[in-house]
Amino acid sequence: MSDRVDDTDMTDTAIDDPSEAPADDRDDPTEDDVGDAESGLPSHRAVPRTGRLDSEDRQGVPYTESQVIMPTVKVVAPFAFTFGLFITFHGSGSPGGGFQGGAIVAAVVFMIAFAFGIEATRDWLANTVVVALAVGGALAFAGIGLVPVALGGAFLQYDLLPIPILDPVKYGMEGVEVIGIAPIVAGVLMGLFFLLANGFGSEGGGFGGGAPDEGGSIDETGSLEEGAADAGGDR
Amino acid sequence: MTGAVALATGSVASVAPLSPIVAQVTAIEASLLAFVVLTALATAFARDVLAAVIVFGAYSLGMAALYTFYRAPDVALTEAAISAGVTTVLLLLTLAKTTRIDHDAVFESVNLPAAGAAGFLFAGLLLTMGDIPAIGSPDAPVWSNPEVTQWYLTETYAQTHVENTVMAVLAAFRGFDTFGEAVVVFAGGIAALIVLHREVFA
Repeated sequence: MSDRVDDTDMTDTAIDDPSEAPADDRDDPTEDDVGDAESGLPSHRAVPRTGRLDSEDRQGVPYTESQVIMPTVKVVAPFAFTFGLFITFHGSGSPGGGFQGGAIVAAVVFMIAFAFGIEATRDWLANTVVVALAVGGALAFAGIGLVPVALGGAFLQYDLLPIPILDPVKYGMEGVEVIGIAPIVAGVLMGLFFLLANGFGSEGGGFGGGAPDEGGSIDETGSLEEGAADAGGDR
Repeated sequence: MTGAVALATGSVASVAPLSPIVAQVTAIEASLLAFVVLTALATAFARDVLAAVIVFGAYSLGMAALYTFYRAPDVALTEAAISAGVTTVLLLLTLAKTTRIDHDAVFESVNLPAAGAAGFLFAGLLLTMGDIPAIGSPDAPVWSNPEVTQWYLTETYAQTHVENTVMAVLAAFRGFDTFGEAVVVFAGGIAALIVLHREVFA
């Protein structure tokens, strides 16, 4: 939820700026309007910023409850999720398909994470689920493609699929879309979201946090082990 | 018979015979085009990164509406979900994780060499405009050739038993390519893990 809260914070700084500017550069009052290229730091950066997007305390506290967004997401999420499933399952008869439907389902998870906190969503949607979606989707797509090969046909030759009663061509394609492409897209997008939410991680195995005081390539194995320990430990 | 075919033929039937392009532009289309161009320019010139990301989301939404208007609902869905939704969220998340420099100026000052290069490219693209057939023209090569487009439109239901021609092409006629694309998406997730030195997503 940090982003939307930070949007509202921008109004704070907009109010702050005029009050700070006279104190810092009395010598050049027009500088605020023209720009700050010639002086080192803009006037409003000279004072410590609290509550700003890039302030230290805000970086550490990425979640604030919102009485508007939480109920809104509670109402919208089931419908958006159903819409994503409809787009996925009904792709053979209407616009859409696995890619679009998977993206919408992932967007529902983003929405929930924004409303109820990324950490809470991360605990609720375990890494196992995300990985199982992506890997399972890839394996399912490959499996549907390889079964006809095993039966002597070509890759993805749907009419050889051993599907009883139902039309193998139509439901083979549905299978590719529903249990192949959609889970891959949904899983990978959710994974990217959680990865980015972790950031370059001062707390984890990323190389952002300790880069300045550690020697570049030497600690790579160390940070990897750290990540592995992190993985085994609390998740 | 099939939804996609009906949709495609509807788009051709509803457009009047060839006339100057300007006469065919409706008010909705013109306003959508203006919105897309303005938001694209605002994305390029906004000095604040957060503002640029938000305006870029609006641009993608305008493009999605434009695709719907041009009867490409599959592309519109993708644009709306991926570009307007997911990309904006990921960019916002990245902004929240990095330091955002705040500026007093609303717009970036114009970089003359970059503007010259962009203008040159724009002029070059404009030169090709004369050879592009009018929107919905029955003489457009993509529509009028019987070997490719018409073949897919007539053969899709007979061969694949699904009504959405786009999905039939993606999942059946070009299924192996789609498998490659799905693997690319999967590999993208793995690449992100490797770049960030992590072993778990969550």
